[in-house]
Amino acid sequence: MMTKNFLSTKIFILIIAICLTQFFSENSYGVDPDEILQDHKQELRARNISKNIRCMICQNQSIDESNAPLAKDLRILIRNKIKEGKNNEEIYKFLTDRYGDFILLKPPLKLSTLALWLLPFIFFIVGVFVVFWHNKKSKKF
Amino acid sequence: MAPYLGNFALWLSLCFAVFQFINSSIKNNNSILQFNKIAVNGLLFCSLVSFFSLMYSHVVSDFSLINVFQNSHTTKPLLYKISGVWGNHEGSMLLWILVLTIFNFFIFKLYNQTNSKFVSKVLETQALITVGFVLFTILTSNPFERMDVVQTNGLGFNPILQDPALAIHPPLLYIGYVGFSAAFSMSIATLSLGNNEKILWYSYMKPFVIAAWTFLTIGIALGSVWAYYELGWGGWWFWDPVENASFMPWLLGTALLHSLITVEKKKSLQSWVLLLSILAFLLSVVGTFLVRSGILTSIHTFALDPSRGIYILAFTAILGGYSLILFGLKSKKHFNNSYFSFFSKEGSILVNNILMVVVCASVFLGTIYPLLVEAFTNNKISVGEPYYNTTVVPIMIPAILVMGIGPMLSWGREDKSKIFKKIFPSILLTAIITIFIFLFYQTYSFIGIVGILLAFWIISNSVIILFRKKENLSNGMIIAHLGIGLLILGITGSSVWQEEKITQMKIGNETNIQEYNIILKEINEIKGPNYLALQGNFFVYDKNKNIIAKLKPENRFYPIRNNFTTEASIHTNLLRDLYIVLGEGNLNDGWVVRIYYNPLVIWIWIGALTIFLGGIVSMNSNLKKLQRLS
Amino acid sequence: MKKQLLILPSIFFLLILLVFFYLLMIDRNPSELPSTLLDKNVPKFETESLLKEEKFVSSEVFGKEITLVNFFATWCKPCRDEHSYIKRFSNQEGIKVIGINYKDNTQKAIGWLKELGNPYSHVAVDKKGRIAIDWGVYGIPETFIINSKGIIKYRQAGPVTKKIYKKINLIISKIE
Repeated sequence: MMTKNFLSTKIFILIIAICLTQFFSENSYGVDPDEILQDHKQELRARNISKNIRCMICQNQSIDESNAPLAKDLRILIRNKIKEGKNNEEIYKFLTDRYGDFILLKPPLKLSTLALWLLPFIFFIVGVFVVFWHNKKSKKF
Repeated sequence: MAPYLGNFALWLSLCFAVFQFINSSIKNNNSILQFNKIAVNGLLFCSLVSFFSLMYSHVVSDFSLINVFQNSHTTKPLLYKISGVWGNHEGSMLLWILVLTIFNFFIFKLYNQTNSKFVSKVLETQALITVGFVLFTILTSNPFERMDVVQTNGLGFNPILQDPALAIHPPLLYIGYVGFSAAFSMSIATLSLGNNEKILWYSYMKPFVIAAWTFLTIGIALGSVWAYYELGWGGWWFWDPVENASFMPWLLGTALLHSLITVEKKKSLQSWVLLLSILAFLLSVVGTFLVRSGILTSIHTFALDPSRGIYILAFTAILGGYSLILFGLKSKKHFNNSYFSFFSKEGSILVNNILMVVVCASVFLGTIYPLLVEAFTNNKISVGEPYYNTTVVPIMIPAILVMGIGPMLSWGREDKSKIFKKIFPSILLTAIITIFIFLFYQTYSFIGIVGILLAFWIISNSVIILFRKKENLSNGMIIAHLGIGLLILGITGSSVWQEEKITQMKIGNETNIQEYNIILKEINEIKGPNYLALQGNFFVYDKNKNIIAKLKPENRFYPIRNNFTTEASIHTNLLRDLYIVLGEGNLNDGWVVRIYYNPLVIWIWIGALTIFLGGIVSMNSNLKKLQRLS
Repeated sequence: MKKQLLILPSIFFLLILLVFFYLLMIDRNPSELPSTLLDKNVPKFETESLLKEEKFVSSEVFGKEITLVNFFATWCKPCRDEHSYIKRFSNQEGIKVIGINYKDNTQKAIGWLKELGNPYSHVAVDKKGRIAIDWGVYGIPETFIINSKGIIKYRQAGPVTKKIYKKINLIISKIE
């Protein structure tokens, strides 16, 4: 009786282990050992690019962190393109041509994102001005 | 029985809230205090009944309630049945309301001979806010709705959310948001005061702001604790819109806290306090909007429903429009003309205020920009971590530098020649410690050096102030500042020097990371209360071949929800975390194993806890002062 | 001067709320992505056919009549759920339905179509998912509407439901 239970549990677990490869899990894993490139510099480039590419199915993860099938495919695609000799801009363009700017975690610098990138800087300058203006006023006293 | 009671209590609380509003707004009301006493107590009692009715239904697994059916299951451990009450949208609204009524009660306690008009105005505003929340709950999110067909069991609960840190995280956050609502109401009351009414409104506000800020800090920290321990790759902050929604009130809350201290001491920065307390609460409500309206998706968002969004938007518009217009019209009389030198305590606080507001504005911009782009173009962009690292992190650096100097400066004006003498010991101490660390560890990186310098700048300053004792500085402040220093230490260590090892391991294989040797001893099948798991048993040896840990990461399967999770296994000490995650695999090919070496992570949690303790100490000494006031 | 400045926060605040309000009112799905391929030519590709001997060559298949392209797989439950609607499309006059079998087991796919009925005039095999990437697919099922000139006119991410079925038919009736 106990052995039967144990055996069926074992089989169940094995099935789960197989299913794990099929189903999308809610958690991330990331780069698999078989993806890692031999050339250390190229691998580092691949990791850095991947860290800037959003996993489209997950929430707030890059493809570097996620184990979603699409994330893995894109990681491999990026490594292949690096091996082919493409530079970073070409790789990013390849991806944004197909998935749009949304796939980039770092928003690109374009007309529509000008405000996004400039405003923090402007806020800071305004802040500095406020401090100086206040300082000037306090000097009168 | 309980659901009927709970629903009835909810409706009744609406009545009490309306009653409190009307009662408080009547001019020349001689029985204002007596009736408010009824209203306040009635509100508190009703919300307690309502909340605990829902909790009872969850605990006994009453699946006739849609709320219990959707979010619970008989196999859920009791702790999570309880925390499941607020782990969903409708239940969390009941928690919001409960915290609101508790704070409402404490505001009522402020009544004394002299402040009737002020406190009544505060209670009037709080009543309006409460009506807003209760009405929202009744109209769009009633947790006591019934199922048409009662099922025998529920839909279970997301297993990732079954975690102690996550269980306590919402109540703590809500104490923060509701505390800011109290400050908000007090600002409205202050701005509505007549010209000849003198009331120490800032002294009433202070305990609420300290409480709000303190609990918001620990609430945010626990959310990060959960992310780190639960999500599987050592990350703890993702600049997710909902995380940002809690961070923005925190930033403004920090500025508000320091400005309040300045107002108390020197009467300057009053308009800052008024505006910041309005904005801090408004941002809390906007945060609620982002999570519950369906305007964006995020792991944190609850079920999407545009009608909820429209309601909250209307509520926010009324609250925000009214308060900000009131501020625009009435704040002028709070402008204080006693200017202070840049080189003074007030000067540092002003600089801090500005930097906190700049950071908050940038975070706000990053969070809503994708929505703006979508509204005005047909494009979708995403704003992720790289953006915030570029815009927010650099601004924090001057803020931290000022944070070290500020406490040492005098009020009003500091003798410039004395400044150097005051800060020289900490500069020396910081330099010595930093040089020592890098000579010992020999791993250099620009941002790493900056981070360590900043961390020890704050730590040295705090320690030196502690020993000086001649400054009349609050202990709570010193402890909280020390906590920030430790936090920066942890953040720097774990961000800059994290190492990762990805490898394939069969049973018996070994691998190394840093000075550790790790062997996969066995793979077991284990059974938990509502899951089945594959568990790896890893023996970790140090360089002297001593075993220092047996780490057991798991891959779990929850049959009810039909999903999988990974549970990392972590060994912690003061210097680093060793973090192992079990990936996919089988007996023949071995398993994918991910090992992370995360330096100094524990200092993030120790730092946050220290800040929390500093806040509690401050609250305590502040409450004593307040008692003397009444 | 000062007083005008003080009114700024409220104006700014209300403007932002207006934007939020606008976003709430329009019909949008926050987790859906607009396709970058709209009004562009169908990506060129050549691959095996699932059910025929000859290869699937995109230039031969597109550009003749209004075509629907449906990415599917046997392991995808929503694909099974939407299958009856795909069959309905294939029964309509003037539209051709192409299937692209995404990262699937060929034998299983053949069996699946036998069991549920085959609505596709052609089925391309995308073993590695590279074709899907070229189409900007991020989760299956996805269905594209191609006009008679081979231009992509619409992308539906997610399964075809009753509401979406009507929507697609509406779009088809409006394009040439």
